[in-house]
Amino acid sequence: MHHPLTVVEDRSSFDVDDGTEGSATLSVSLILVPLAVATVAAVRGATASRDERGRVICQVQTRMRDEALLSAALRQTNAVVTADHQEIVASWDRVQATFQRGPDAVWSAHLTGDVDEQGAVDIVRAIDAEYGRQVQRAVLEQLRERAPAAGLRLESETVAEDASVRMVFAVEGRLS
Amino acid sequence: MTEKPRIVLTVTSAGIVSAETKGLAGSGCLDYITILEDLLDARTIESAYTADYTRTNVNTQDLQEERNVERA
Repeated sequence: MHHPLTVVEDRSSFDVDDGTEGSATLSVSLILVPLAVATVAAVRGATASRDERGRVICQVQTRMRDEALLSAALRQTNAVVTADHQEIVASWDRVQATFQRGPDAVWSAHLTGDVDEQGAVDIVRAIDAEYGRQVQRAVLEQLRERAPAAGLRLESETVAEDASVRMVFAVEGRLS
Repeated sequence: MTEKPRIVLTVTSAGIVSAETKGLAGSGCLDYITILEDLLDARTIESAYTADYTRTNVNTQDLQEERNVERA
């Protein structure tokens, strides 16, 4: 994987009289997307069609990849969920959603029942928001579990008003 | 005084992670791109790095370098 980085070095006052060089520290800032998430954009628009029984089906492409997290997110929306590896079916009172994997392993939703295209997008957006919380929870658990083995010691953990979680790790491993 | 090496991570409720290394000597901070990707099962979609040289006693010589770094 390539990470194009632009480096700007401000070397003002860097050359030292006695010929020794100043010590240098560098900071990298990154944005990372968990593999459970396909893209940053949550939900694209819906397309409507009819099945062989004449029912309207609204299809919505999602960014969700992880079956277990998607099932958990659906249960959080009070859906009755049945799942196998190829398909997840979620049922609410008047709407049913069938999720199927595309060739890129990303789930797309097919909604039937009392729902139009905008309603389908709204429902998938709500599921996506819950999915995001599930991913956040999984990432935080993974960090707490794996960080010590990578030489990182958790110094502090704070939750912001927007529910984002900030963790500060001291670098104590072999790479420090 | 040398800053203690740290990594600051923010995980949003949408599941997106931002990370910043602080106080890591030289280009050692670059190693943490791969470490964080492995740690988080994630891929980096944006990265930037800025030099933050610890200054000692000195001659003033304004010099700014810009270069592109491509990691394999």
